[in-house]
Amino acid sequence: MHTFLYKKVGFKAELVGELAGNYSTVVLMFGFAVAAMAPALVISRMLSPRKRSNPVKFLPMECGQVPTGEGRTQFMMQYYAYILMFVVFDVVAIFLYAWGSTILYLPKEATLPIIAFLGIIFAAMAFALSQSDRRKIW
Amino acid sequence: MSVIAPNFKLSEFIKSILDNAFWILLILALIGIPAVQVILFYIEMPVINGELLTPFLALTWIADPSRTLPIIKAFMTTDLFRIAAFPGFGFAALLAAGTIFVERKMLAKLQLRVGPFYCGKIEGILQLMGDGLKLISKEIIIPAKADKPIFWAAPVLFVATAAAFVALIPVAPGWVVADLDVGLLAVFAIIGFFPIITILSAWAANSKFPFIGGIRALFQMVSFEIPLILSLLGAVILTGTLNLSEIAASQSSFPWIIFLPIGAIVFFVTMLAELERIPFDLPEAESEIVAGWLTELSGMMYGLVQLGTYLKLYAFAALFVVIFLGGFNGPMLWPPFPEEIITEGIELGPVTAQIPGLPVFSQEVLNGILMFVLKTVGVIFFILLPRGVFPRIRVDLLLDLGWKKLIGLAFVNIFIALGLLYAGILGPGGII
Repeated sequence: MHTFLYKKVGFKAELVGELAGNYSTVVLMFGFAVAAMAPALVISRMLSPRKRSNPVKFLPMECGQVPTGEGRTQFMMQYYAYILMFVVFDVVAIFLYAWGSTILYLPKEATLPIIAFLGIIFAAMAFALSQSDRRKIW
Repeated sequence: MSVIAPNFKLSEFIKSILDNAFWILLILALIGIPAVQVILFYIEMPVINGELLTPFLALTWIADPSRTLPIIKAFMTTDLFRIAAFPGFGFAALLAAGTIFVERKMLAKLQLRVGPFYCGKIEGILQLMGDGLKLISKEIIIPAKADKPIFWAAPVLFVATAAAFVALIPVAPGWVVADLDVGLLAVFAIIGFFPIITILSAWAANSKFPFIGGIRALFQMVSFEIPLILSLLGAVILTGTLNLSEIAASQSSFPWIIFLPIGAIVFFVTMLAELERIPFDLPEAESEIVAGWLTELSGMMYGLVQLGTYLKLYAFAALFVVIFLGGFNGPMLWPPFPEEIITEGIELGPVTAQIPGLPVFSQEVLNGILMFVLKTVGVIFFILLPRGVFPRIRVDLLLDLGWKKLIGLAFVNIFIALGLLYAGILGPGGII
């Protein structure tokens, strides 16, 4: 199928990596989109006018005001609690897929620990959410 | 009225065309043809009608349609066709372009406007082409203090990541670019790249509005990723596979939305948030922060980001269809091909050209494509509809919705799936 991944050594074609071979089409699609869309920018750059006479044009957009200060300012988003929760529960949610995709082949008793696990997640998430509402601590 | 080219001379115009033609021919003869030969030397050519296809035979067979058809069929089995044309980029871009036009027309009707009207005589059908030409001829202005390489690369990467997402969607039985055993996890992996590209573009612009918009986009996408992931777990529990083609094929008798309506609702709402569509368009809130993280993008860069956004919209709608609405399954609406077309071919009027084996797709595949496209268009309609109806949601309500209600409902959905499995209704040995 993906001939460039098969290294022909001697008489026998050897498989380099089956899983990597499956993913190659995703990467090829990514590369195809880059190869198809980058020329649009190049053509646009060739067709469109380029006048560099007015330096005001290259200032950051601030609705007509004269821009002040740096573009990358620091400001408070008060989101740190949610980011911490995301880091934990995103991984946990992916772990649940390992269980969910094999549940048809597991004995029924194996679900009980997962239910307990879900309970722990749910309790932990509820506690974290109640803490994240107390904005003073962030 | 301004004159487009005041110093126009016909003789110089013809001379320039001849000049260009000469150089193109010269470069083609010296570099192009040898390059094609070198490339063809390394490509494995297909065997057609017991003959190995050489470039010379391919050229002679163009004259005879009955011998060209096997070449087309052989080309359609290659990865290149799948990536560039049918289940891949071309198909998705076509649907995305249709989505843009329908969105503008439909929103106009919802708000008692006319919408695109003049371009192309019939209801402004060429408006999109006109917009494309306008975008490509606009000057690309990059802020002086921007990180130029990243700022240039971000729109292209956005389109490419959306295309990689499209690659995982099964359109018809056997018609998918990348048939992965862990297709759903690959979807999550690719979705995870969008916030990174957004924040890269926003940070590289070195401007305040893109920065605020980028951070908003990052936080919104990140916080809705958990309900997104959890809402699809129900369907995985009931099918026992992560392969999207198998999940679609498992719904031949009924779609999962009948048993998992809560999961479908949660996924739909998170889909709106991931796509930054109204009512969740805080990252691009026009009335607050100009255009959010798109503020400094101009000309074709903005056009590419829009194309990527609509490719992503198509991919999400298609994922909804594949997991909850049965994908390519459905009643057989496509009429069967007459027997003589398959065996003898059709006779085209006075010029008799008998081409046997004309249907390049089988009836099942065509029906699968039809059902898939109908359902996807329906889901896209429901994604577009809130834009004409709802106002923008407040940020604390957004957090409340994403982190409390949707995650809770996603857990409920998981327990419904488990209950259906262990009550013996679904699954192996179940009632249904």
